[in-house]
Amino acid sequence: MARVLVVDDAAFMRKMVTDALTKGGHDVIGEAGNGAEAVDRWQELRPDLTTLDITMPEKDGLAALKEIISIDPAAKVIMCSALGQESKVLESIKLGAKDFVVKPFQADRVLDAVAKALA
Amino acid sequence: MSDAGDALMQIGESTAEAVMGVLQVFCPEEGQVTQGLVAAVPPGVHPMEGVPVPAVATGVSFVDGVHGGNVFVMTVKGARRLAASMMGAELPEDDAELTELDLSAMGEAMNQMMSAAAMATSKVLGKEVEIAPPEVQQFTDPAQATAAYDPTPHAVTAQFSILGEPCRLVLFIPNAFIVRMNRALSEMTTEYAEYEQGPLSPLVRDVPLRLWAELGRVRMPLAALVGLPVGAVVELDHEVDDPIDLYVDDMLFATGRLLVTDDSEWAVRIETVHGVPDNPRHSSPDSQSLTAGPTTTTQGD
Repeated sequence: MARVLVVDDAAFMRKMVTDALTKGGHDVIGEAGNGAEAVDRWQELRPDLTTLDITMPEKDGLAALKEIISIDPAAKVIMCSALGQESKVLESIKLGAKDFVVKPFQADRVLDAVAKALA
Repeated sequence: MSDAGDALMQIGESTAEAVMGVLQVFCPEEGQVTQGLVAAVPPGVHPMEGVPVPAVATGVSFVDGVHGGNVFVMTVKGARRLAASMMGAELPEDDAELTELDLSAMGEAMNQMMSAAAMATSKVLGKEVEIAPPEVQQFTDPAQATAAYDPTPHAVTAQFSILGEPCRLVLFIPNAFIVRMNRALSEMTTEYAEYEQGPLSPLVRDVPLRLWAELGRVRMPLAALVGLPVGAVVELDHEVDDPIDLYVDDMLFATGRLLVTDDSEWAVRIETVHGVPDNPRHSSPDSQSLTAGPTTTTQGD
């Protein structure tokens, strides 16, 4: 079981990810709706793992990822974003993300990525 | 394929196909989603005209690469049913209002559909297209829907039926988009035609080549090179008015003029083709020297 921070600008998506993680026995300890909030919540909560959307208002997921990794290079972050952003996938992996889940996704895919990142 | 109509239909169809792919994940049962007609909107007609109300419309705009925007509009009932299906919940039959979560689901559905569509468009244009986060609006009167979106010179609509409710995808397309689209299409057509008619043996037609444009060169000793500070200016051997050189795999192939395209990209208009010398290495005028300054690759491998 991991303490997870879920970041997505869509409340619906946060609910979907949270439902999937809860079903898998994980504990969602916080949510954030944009990149700036994500960095604040991450510092406050120090989660075991963070799921991060890429396209978000104010500060996008890549900028948030960069900041989180600069605070803790060992931070476990899984990017969760829609199709068509291959260059962003590569960039996020280069920046230190552990995995990438493409939306629309099945709950199992999220749990697999979490298990792999925590292993 | 060179007129605006063909480009419009091609972009309309590839977008509709991408959207359909995502909708089928949200509504996986046979027949829950069907695609109807894709059609160019005639001049003078607002593409939002006649949308069924009450409606919920979700729009995204492309942030760079190509300029334009897409709007997905569906009945409120259809939106509630789609949101329920995305959450794996029972489909509502009543006409209640949309909840915050329903609206968020619509935004997310649009985000995913348009990301898939942007990927399809990127493939056609050979250029990555990025989308801005979606904006959701509700309309109770058709006049609100036409007032909410400024018409563009071109538009395409695609009809869908989702869980028994009608919906419409509208692509708002400015002229710049058509220009880019036509160029990409005609480049593809030209390349293909040359492939077919060229004197090359079929064996070598697919050999990949690296093509680059060179603005100029300079020779300097190593000590001068390592001593260059940030901000130093290195003068090249070409005047501003000189043609620039086009190289193919280290061989001077042609000279031409540097241009800036409508999309602010560099391009080269070829003025002289030098042909293939007996010993290609000798035609590279300064192959031992250091090449300073930017080189512009006009076509990838």
